[in-house]
Amino acid sequence: MNQQIRELIHVHKSTITDEWMKEVEKFREDDYLQSISDTVYQNTNREFVDMLFNTVGQEGEDVKETISNYTDRLIQLGWPLNYIIRGMQEFRKVAVESLIRNDDQTRDIEFYQEVEDWVDEVVNILVGHYSGSWENTVFLQKMALKELSAPLIPVFDNISVMPLIGTIDTERAKQIMENLLTGVIEHRSQVVLIDITGVPVVDTMVAHHIIQASEAVRLVGAKCILVGIRPEIAQTIVNLGIDLGKFPTKSSLKKGIESALEMTSHQIVEIEE
Amino acid sequence: MRIPILKLHDYLLISVQVDLDDQTALQFQEDVLNKIHQEGSRGVVIDLTSVDMIDSFIAKVLGDVVDMSNLMGARVVLTGIQPAVAITLIDMGIVLEEVPTALDLEQGLDRLQQELEG
Amino acid sequence: MQVQTHVDIHSEWGIVAARQAGRKLAREIGFGSVDQARVTTAISELARNIYLYANKGQIHIEEATSSGKRGIKIIATDEGPGIKDVRRVMEDGYTTSGGLGAGLPGVKRLMDEFKIDSEPDEGTTITTVKWLR
Repeated sequence: MNQQIRELIHVHKSTITDEWMKEVEKFREDDYLQSISDTVYQNTNREFVDMLFNTVGQEGEDVKETISNYTDRLIQLGWPLNYIIRGMQEFRKVAVESLIRNDDQTRDIEFYQEVEDWVDEVVNILVGHYSGSWENTVFLQKMALKELSAPLIPVFDNISVMPLIGTIDTERAKQIMENLLTGVIEHRSQVVLIDITGVPVVDTMVAHHIIQASEAVRLVGAKCILVGIRPEIAQTIVNLGIDLGKFPTKSSLKKGIESALEMTSHQIVEIEE
Repeated sequence: MRIPILKLHDYLLISVQVDLDDQTALQFQEDVLNKIHQEGSRGVVIDLTSVDMIDSFIAKVLGDVVDMSNLMGARVVLTGIQPAVAITLIDMGIVLEEVPTALDLEQGLDRLQQELEG
Repeated sequence: MQVQTHVDIHSEWGIVAARQAGRKLAREIGFGSVDQARVTTAISELARNIYLYANKGQIHIEEATSSGKRGIKIIATDEGPGIKDVRRVMEDGYTTSGGLGAGLPGVKRLMDEFKIDSEPDEGTTITTVKWLR
């Protein structure tokens, strides 16, 4: 950025800031931004704009560092990216309007381009930083999901239950299958009840995974009972033409356990007092 | 290489402990059938605990052993199929349908008893 | 360091040698027991196809890397009769050898990437990759 523009920007700093503050106030509609106090809101806006002016005098890596540091704070505070980007758009408008006031057209165009480049660079760094933090969040959530995926719980001698909760995708289905089979071996389960009460949707894909899991269970030498089939799940299964005829199903975990006890020649009896 | 086949009353017990190559697998098939014929066995337990891979060929041989033994009047139970092996078979689309299975030798013998009585 | 290994298939023992080499490499790369079994089984299928249809050929196994991912790559080559109808051999249950017809479609399902190049009377090359999860 050439010296002339830098100086000019600094001269107009307060007008640009005031104009900009007025403009951004117009789209402070996000819930989060509504919830914070006016003072905090205005202070943060002012800090943001100061940070922008700081980058005017900086080059390359320094610019990046200044913005990165500040962006981390914004992300932590929960300022939405769309607000920041609109803010940057407004900032460009305001800056251009206050800088271009004379009749020298070539100089105006040069100014315009300089401001444009400057704003674009800032936006790129901001977006890069925000999306990096989202990817990180998604990664952490994936890990968390993996950790909570499907334990096999032994309930009686040779009978175990695996409650499935949440959506089952291919990745998770593989994980579930591995847990299921190693659990069967570990607990020497003869019957495994797969409880799908907590599975919101059973489509052909999910059914396919469940069928595969139960076939694998059969290969290692145990039996599967599918339990927790709610009316709407039964309807979708039949409507989709999924054939679950080959392995036993029960409406509830209770019924499943009763038939599992039967299969392992056990019985629950009442004790007479 | 030959896989040893043990006789226990009416049953044959086989524990496969080697990495099965095709020739050994086919030899095994023949040996089991001969032994069933010789001993008049009613049941066979094939334990696969130490087998860490079953491909389509070996799966076919095992499935055939089961069918052939059934023809000769002996029930076969496969035991100890490892989780990794089971998952691989399922991935390949090999389900070994109609083949009785059990967790281990002990439960395999129980299973045979059930099959033969029921 | 790039790890790789090469096995010539000209007898049934080659099949066993190839899958043992594959399991060793898969373990070194860091695959879990289930994926080790998948890779070993895929190699067994490919090696058997070479032996059955082309009599001899090679199995080449190496570590694969791509945009931060690591995995294992298996290349099976032979100069046999080639596959006349590639689409057909990928159908479940299609067999010319009296097997289960699960071989090639099975390999495709066991692995993450799968490619067949085949020219009638020239030979066949099958390249397949499994990525670390």
